[in-house]
Amino acid sequence: MALPEIISGRVWKLGDHVNTDLLHPPSHFSLERVKEGIVEGRLRLGSGVKEDSSDQGWIIVAGENFGCGSSRETSVRGLSAFGVKGVVAGSFARIFMRSLINIGIPVFETREIQKNVKDGDLIRIFLTEGWIEGPDSKQFSFSPLDPHLKKILEAGGLVSYLQCEKHEI
Amino acid sequence: MAKGITGKIIEKHADGRREGEYVSTRVDFILVHDPTFAILLPELKESGKEIWDKDKILVTVDHFSPPASIERANIVREVLSYAKEKKLPHLAVHQGICHQLMVEGPWLKPGTLALGADSHTVTGGALGCLATGLGSTDILYSLITGKTWLKSPEAVRIDLREKLPSYLMGKDVILDLLGRYGEGGFLYRAMEFYDMDEVIPMDDRFAICNMVVEGGAKNGLFWPDRVTENYLIERDGHLGRSANWVEGDFEYSSKIEVDLSKIKPKIALPHSPAQVIDVEEIRGETIDQVFIGSCTGGRLRDIELAARLLRGRKVSRDVTLLVTPASQKIYQKAIEKGYISAIIGAGGVVLNPSCGPCGGIDKGILGREEKCLSTSNRNFKGRMGDPSSKVFLSSPLTAAASALAGKIIDPREVM
Repeated sequence: MALPEIISGRVWKLGDHVNTDLLHPPSHFSLERVKEGIVEGRLRLGSGVKEDSSDQGWIIVAGENFGCGSSRETSVRGLSAFGVKGVVAGSFARIFMRSLINIGIPVFETREIQKNVKDGDLIRIFLTEGWIEGPDSKQFSFSPLDPHLKKILEAGGLVSYLQCEKHEI
Repeated sequence: MAKGITGKIIEKHADGRREGEYVSTRVDFILVHDPTFAILLPELKESGKEIWDKDKILVTVDHFSPPASIERANIVREVLSYAKEKKLPHLAVHQGICHQLMVEGPWLKPGTLALGADSHTVTGGALGCLATGLGSTDILYSLITGKTWLKSPEAVRIDLREKLPSYLMGKDVILDLLGRYGEGGFLYRAMEFYDMDEVIPMDDRFAICNMVVEGGAKNGLFWPDRVTENYLIERDGHLGRSANWVEGDFEYSSKIEVDLSKIKPKIALPHSPAQVIDVEEIRGETIDQVFIGSCTGGRLRDIELAARLLRGRKVSRDVTLLVTPASQKIYQKAIEKGYISAIIGAGGVVLNPSCGPCGGIDKGILGREEKCLSTSNRNFKGRMGDPSSKVFLSSPLTAAASALAGKIIDPREVM
């Protein structure tokens, strides 16, 4: 079980329709320097959190259609290298959501928390219980994850899932 | 009843395994290109696994084509060395944009299930198949297993009536829909188009399907008709439908009617493909560059219509016109038909078939506060260059007319 019971981290807040070109500009495409693209993306997005690192790790809280645009996986790999441990959004662009799960970053769909958190807030996600604890211990529930996606996350990503699957067949 | 044609194609490819809402499906074809293939190569090699069916993979080098930096040259080198070592039969190096090469080859037919490591793989749906994009790790799984996990999407039926007026192109049609329904307006859905009068040229259908992902759709497709059949006969020498073609009743969650004769030339404003107005509403806006190319707007009909407007005229001295045919095949035809000579005669610059300026990769990069009118699919902030630059999206006709005027104009003014 690679999936923890609780994920905690500092909020990196983003709006609606944040596309992968903004998150990880295409001119920064690189196999070795994936994190640099995210650093540039944060600069362009004008994040309220100045530091590029958090001892707690990051949890993105985004609005609708998060991660639309290009399928370049450098964006989600960059987020992972940057220390993003989970992503909360009102809704996700499909390729981006699959790519997050495929590299083992859990996703949570809810529209309740966005107005109640700001950049840098410490929040905790209780995976089994199905809710997120905000800065004032306020609770926000999220939609349960599809069993297939959960299975991939529990395996630790799609590559590990494939190995488990091979044993099953 | 299946959810649209898309749901039926998924059903036909299902192998019987199901987890949650996802079904395991067989894949008929996979498209990869230099950067997205390079991302998965280390894991593919490490797995010790082979590609499940080499004949069903098209590997293209089209993004870094040819490479403009040492880092990119090394990425391309990795891709080529793997493709040659494994003797992959379908390798297209600097032959054009993957989404055009994919539909020029024999793989996609009505009923095919095709995946690509690029979001604009949806272009292929114009041939009546299910074509959709995925990230590199998903593609790695499919390359090894020949399968993928898919959810059957809700389908929207879009009936297109009347024929395209001379000033209107497929690009205007999809911009109109994106403008009306928004950037996430078709999230997770299948957009299924019916050309009720069977008159929309295939190149315009490719442009329409290419941009469904800008509305968040999983895929877009055209019900195969005479236009599709003629394309397939010309391409393959015969009409071969995929063994997976589907018939029957399809369930739609909603229906949209479009009267093509009523749409005016459209333009997307910076920085969203869904922020759309009529071109005449922004008439006179100055621009520094016009780009006619990409997997949306670099096909033969795009270049033909642009060249017809440009022939015998001169591009404004205030504007740089860049033209990139989507493939070598298109480039060659455009030379034979005199389009390239018309473009050069007007002062346009022709670049080699590749993705080039569209993703800010190389050539035609925008500087500080520069403005570009582009026939491509995305005008996100900073996509084509400096974060302060601005990109407008239009049809090739609007682009060519505006290149002549040195400012944005409606093509009807010069036709």
